[in-house]
Amino acid sequence: MKSFRPTRRTFLKTGTAAAALIGFGPTVLRQAAAQEADLAPYKAAKIDWQQASGETVTVAVIPASYFENLITLAPQFKALTGIDVRFEKIPPAQIRQKAVIDLTSKTGTYATHAADPMYYSLYAANKWVEPLDSYLNDKSLTDADWFKFDDIIPAWRAADSVDGKLYGVPYDGEVTIQVYRKDLYDAKGLKPADDLATFVSNAAALNTPNDRVWGTALRGVAGAGQNMYIYPSIFREFGGEWFKGGKLTVNGPEAEQALSWYVDLMRKSAPTAAANWNWPDIADAFSQGTLASYIDAHSSASVINNPEKSKVIGKVGYARWPKGPSGKRVSSIWNWGFPINAAQTEKKKKATWLFIQWAASAETQARTAHRFAGPTKRSGVNRTSIWKDAEYVKLMNGFGDNFVEATMATLQGDTDVDWRPRVPQWPAIGDTMATAIQSALSGQATVKAALDDAQRRVEPMMRG
Amino acid sequence: MTTKRFRFVATMVITLIFLLAWVFPIVWSVLNSLKTDQDVLAYPPKLIFQPTLEAYRDVLFGSGSILPNLISSFVISIGTTVITMLMAVPAAYALARLRFRGKKFAGFYVLATQMLPPVGIIIPYFLILRNIGWIDTYQGIILIYLSFSLPFAIWLLVSYFEDIPFEMEEAAYLDGASRMRTLWRIIIPQVRGGIAVTIVFVFLNAWNEFLFAVVLSGNTVRPVTVAMFNFVSVEQTLWAKLAAVSVLAMLPVVILGIIAQKNIVKGLTVGAVKGGGRR
Repeated sequence: MKSFRPTRRTFLKTGTAAAALIGFGPTVLRQAAAQEADLAPYKAAKIDWQQASGETVTVAVIPASYFENLITLAPQFKALTGIDVRFEKIPPAQIRQKAVIDLTSKTGTYATHAADPMYYSLYAANKWVEPLDSYLNDKSLTDADWFKFDDIIPAWRAADSVDGKLYGVPYDGEVTIQVYRKDLYDAKGLKPADDLATFVSNAAALNTPNDRVWGTALRGVAGAGQNMYIYPSIFREFGGEWFKGGKLTVNGPEAEQALSWYVDLMRKSAPTAAANWNWPDIADAFSQGTLASYIDAHSSASVINNPEKSKVIGKVGYARWPKGPSGKRVSSIWNWGFPINAAQTEKKKKATWLFIQWAASAETQARTAHRFAGPTKRSGVNRTSIWKDAEYVKLMNGFGDNFVEATMATLQGDTDVDWRPRVPQWPAIGDTMATAIQSALSGQATVKAALDDAQRRVEPMMRG
Repeated sequence: MTTKRFRFVATMVITLIFLLAWVFPIVWSVLNSLKTDQDVLAYPPKLIFQPTLEAYRDVLFGSGSILPNLISSFVISIGTTVITMLMAVPAAYALARLRFRGKKFAGFYVLATQMLPPVGIIIPYFLILRNIGWIDTYQGIILIYLSFSLPFAIWLLVSYFEDIPFEMEEAAYLDGASRMRTLWRIIIPQVRGGIAVTIVFVFLNAWNEFLFAVVLSGNTVRPVTVAMFNFVSVEQTLWAKLAAVSVLAMLPVVILGIIAQKNIVKGLTVGAVKGGGRR
């Protein structure tokens, strides 16, 4: 069994081979290739790519390798469509703020931006972004047989829709999964947890702070996208419902059980500092060999497999979320999708759609992933077909045991689009919940007091 | 004698504790900036390690070079400082010395602009700049920075001008000097310390500003405070590079501080003691 697992070496080799195969290696070749021959796969689409030629679209993205790869390909998009695309990199903490300022003031600065799926309710309620169905169904703009929209991961598409209407097209995304140290688990005869109780006992069994190994860590730091990214999964696994009789309820019995589970786990088997950790801190700690397990984004695999930093390469295994008492597995899901800013001229909107279609197409997804010439390969491609592509699967399995299987099973079976309350008030609700969770994790408040306080705060938000 | 000695030792110990607390983050940044990513994460933290300038090479000359951002920061900070001082010195002098209608109101008005929370006015600023096409331009950002640096500078300088005895101006006036000449030749040399302090603070505020910069800048004009955040990516934090950028961003401020230190200390005490008494 063991020899079956591809090593890091084969993983790198595949990458290089893939790059060499399509002649992307040398810069000179790459530039030449950007012009003619490369565009053939796009020109197979029965649309006029040049219909918005001469337009300029500005796209706000976050600094991340998966967008860096896309930025590298911008000259190809220009050659294909005649549209200039300007990318602006904005840190994740500020991109929402900047996008909302642009949208509220209707200045049309960003034709599109990497959007937080939880913001679509707010965007849609204010008609700041365009419903995309008309773009998808317009034969002059989209060749359905070529674009194959249904090939895009359904969970992410659902997350980018409000009341069944699509507002953003997923470009890159993630799901949370269990990540564990196979060597430590094997030494104690443990298996990755199938339910939350086993996850706790596994963590306790491996928690040996004197040897600088802690059982586990989950994101503790306050933030709508930090602890309030992980907690909703636990809440839903305990059978929690955000809306009871139409009323947002965050302090029910399931919430108490879920938060108690989170707090107990972190107190007993995680480093004390983890109450202030975010995902990069967890991945850094794991890569240094100080954590036996964690539950976080599958995309963190690239950090814990970074040969320049990691000490645990070859010792990592992956599994789906453990089941909760309700019998459900609920993964936290994320994607960066592209909406169309409504405050633009019709021609600019068309140009924006052509950009989105290009970026989300199977061809561009492959060119920014396993067929990308640079060192970083994306693990968040948006296409089911690519996740079944032998070359891509081989590359991804270099991240460790069961990586592709766990990720795919999670994407297909463990997602729940209402795992967080999808309402226009989300930004404020998310922040309030995050503060409550952290005060419970750090011991400043009891679980009940923290949740009751959060309930008092969210109620007026829903009325207003 | 022994009490005196004890006092001295106690003072030194307390000072040292505070000093350590203050200096630790800076020393830590400098150390991390000289490490590889692997050494940054090492435990126990390495105090002795093979130093490398790789992080500096990457942030200065690599693909995501911050050199243009450092230049942006310089242009913005120097531009803001120069314009602020050119306008604040005469304004402060007028408020301190001249008698004119609406002086009290003018003084209050200047102060009142400081009372607005910046977050509250950021969207109006964004809209104004957007409408005149000054988003992501030097003139746009400098204009906005003037809105808070100018009142600050005026109020700081007024207290220094008020400290100068009237007699000096009278003497100059009797000798036949015009008001501008008096201001230039007699008054300004007297408040050199205050001007130095003001310059340092205005420069510092502009150099360190983040909130307005992140909203009002774009790809063309992007100060280093905004750019350095890109080393905290969603995937991982590039500690060594982040530390290297921080050190580079600190340098100009530290250098300016050292040059102006003598004046700052003098200026701060002068303002503190006399300014309070006269008003």
